[in-house]
Amino acid sequence: MTQVILGQFLNGIIIGTLYGIIALGVTLTFGITGIVNFALGQFMMIGAYATWHLTDISHLPYPIAVALAVLIAGFAGLLSDRALFQFTRNNLVNGLLVSIGLISVIESGALLLYTATPKNLDFVLSGSWTFGDITVPRMKVATFGVLLVVIVFTWIALANTWLGRATRAYAQNPEAATLMGVNTEALQVGVTVYSCALAGLGGAMYASLYSLEPSMGALFILKGVEAAILAGIGNLAGALVGGIILGVTESIGSLFLPTAFRDAYGLIFLVAILLFRPSGLFGGQK
Amino acid sequence: MSSVWLLTPLYLIPVFSQSEVLLTILIFTFILSILAIGFNIVFGYAGQLTMFHGAAFGIGAYGTFLIHSSLGISFWLALLPTFVAILLLSLLVGWICFKFRLREFYFAVVTLAFSELVRLVILNWNSVTNGSLGLLVLDKPTFWLPGVGVMMIEGTRAWYLLALTSLLVVAALSYVLVRSWIGRNFAAIRLNEELAQTLGIDTFRYKLLAFAISNIMAGYAGALFGFYTNYIEPSQLSITQSLDAIAMVLLGGVGSILGPVVGAFVLTGLPHVINLSAELRAAAYGAILIVAILVMPRGIVGLLSRSRHVS
Repeated sequence: MTQVILGQFLNGIIIGTLYGIIALGVTLTFGITGIVNFALGQFMMIGAYATWHLTDISHLPYPIAVALAVLIAGFAGLLSDRALFQFTRNNLVNGLLVSIGLISVIESGALLLYTATPKNLDFVLSGSWTFGDITVPRMKVATFGVLLVVIVFTWIALANTWLGRATRAYAQNPEAATLMGVNTEALQVGVTVYSCALAGLGGAMYASLYSLEPSMGALFILKGVEAAILAGIGNLAGALVGGIILGVTESIGSLFLPTAFRDAYGLIFLVAILLFRPSGLFGGQK
Repeated sequence: MSSVWLLTPLYLIPVFSQSEVLLTILIFTFILSILAIGFNIVFGYAGQLTMFHGAAFGIGAYGTFLIHSSLGISFWLALLPTFVAILLLSLLVGWICFKFRLREFYFAVVTLAFSELVRLVILNWNSVTNGSLGLLVLDKPTFWLPGVGVMMIEGTRAWYLLALTSLLVVAALSYVLVRSWIGRNFAAIRLNEELAQTLGIDTFRYKLLAFAISNIMAGYAGALFGFYTNYIEPSQLSITQSLDAIAMVLLGGVGSILGPVVGAFVLTGLPHVINLSAELRAAAYGAILIVAILVMPRGIVGLLSRSRHVS
């Protein structure tokens, strides 16, 4: 039993980092542009399908495909910002609606291009590591590692560079930041694009582990938003921890309680946290 | 009642048009309008961004049919226990949310969470709801007409009349509600909740009231939807259902009675009017929504009439 629990725990951590990378995008976009981009799950889908296309059809090596997929997702983010999101800054409801419209458009695009048939990537890293009684597939460890590095990098970069200080200053007080010479517009575009690229990276890593369907994005944006709120909106490191907590709660919860209610455990946990700590586990806006 | 009367000429459409397609689109428009009007009461008037109406819609559909078929009572009688159930659930969810002073984004997320919980229960309660396969509704509501006796509401025309009449009743009730002191208290809460409280308005109670009313309207729309389409499935109470209604209200115009109807018509009708495949229809839906929001941030009704904000 112990190794089953431990195995589920590790699974939860890995799926949780995928939630975390979306949560990071949600937190960043919300802090800087005042909206939640609900289409982030679809940018993740773009990254996943781009990776699949580049490796299975164009026969590129996986790492190059991942890099290109991130660029493609980022570029799609830039397009959507110029065409849509630049008009919905600080308008939560309109941003929500525009991103719902974008979800329909991107998903039907994917359906037309790739049909609803699930796509599977060939094994990138086969085999697994064994620690005592527990076996972990190497690819899952690699996914965890890559996402962890990116999230920690983002966090450190925002904590230590001028750009990071500008971002945090803007999140705290937009007028004052603008007066101090922060280029607001560029910052908002940059954050939107960066969050889409992060989602694309999540999708590219996801593609190596699970099969792809055009509707895969919906689940992840929900979990991402849940994780971001769980941690406290605006808390970057918290986004990762929130994602992991969510992933582990679901994995462990479905061990002891009916699996069908897997998605419910995270939600109940979230509601409980929000009721007793309204600003999230680690507090909001840092 | 001016704005509600504007809907009455719609009764003449079946007289002039024989088109089944047009009438069917309008039936869907009317049923979804009821859902959207309900959402508009809690969002457009009382200012609370709920995501629970999708769940209420589904409970309405499942509850009415299950009570109707298991107890063998008519559609109309089965509505009552369904409404009571929705009322109790709304009071519970609303009580939790408002007691803990959840607002805006947080209120939306927690109501969304409860809505998902309801969907998961329905999806997994196989013995009663038949899980993801859904339920076939082989019955129709009946109606008693003097001289004719009891008749089934069957066929496009009869459903057109039922849907339109239901919409008129709901729209008229909403109109009376938002024009009353209750509606003024809703507006006060939307504009400034602290101030409303200082002025002696029991904001907790009024928010709960708006939430419950909107969910019961959503439940009625769901009951009609299930019996009209003959089919009930868990995806009818998915997040998409809630989001669609929000889109209709914002597209049509927040805080007006006709706005949701206009929005429902544009979003259900337009993708069908242009002859497209299913994938392209979803894309068209998205594109209409995006363009409408960017071009008319205050909705179609807001664009046509300069601020008909009933408050």
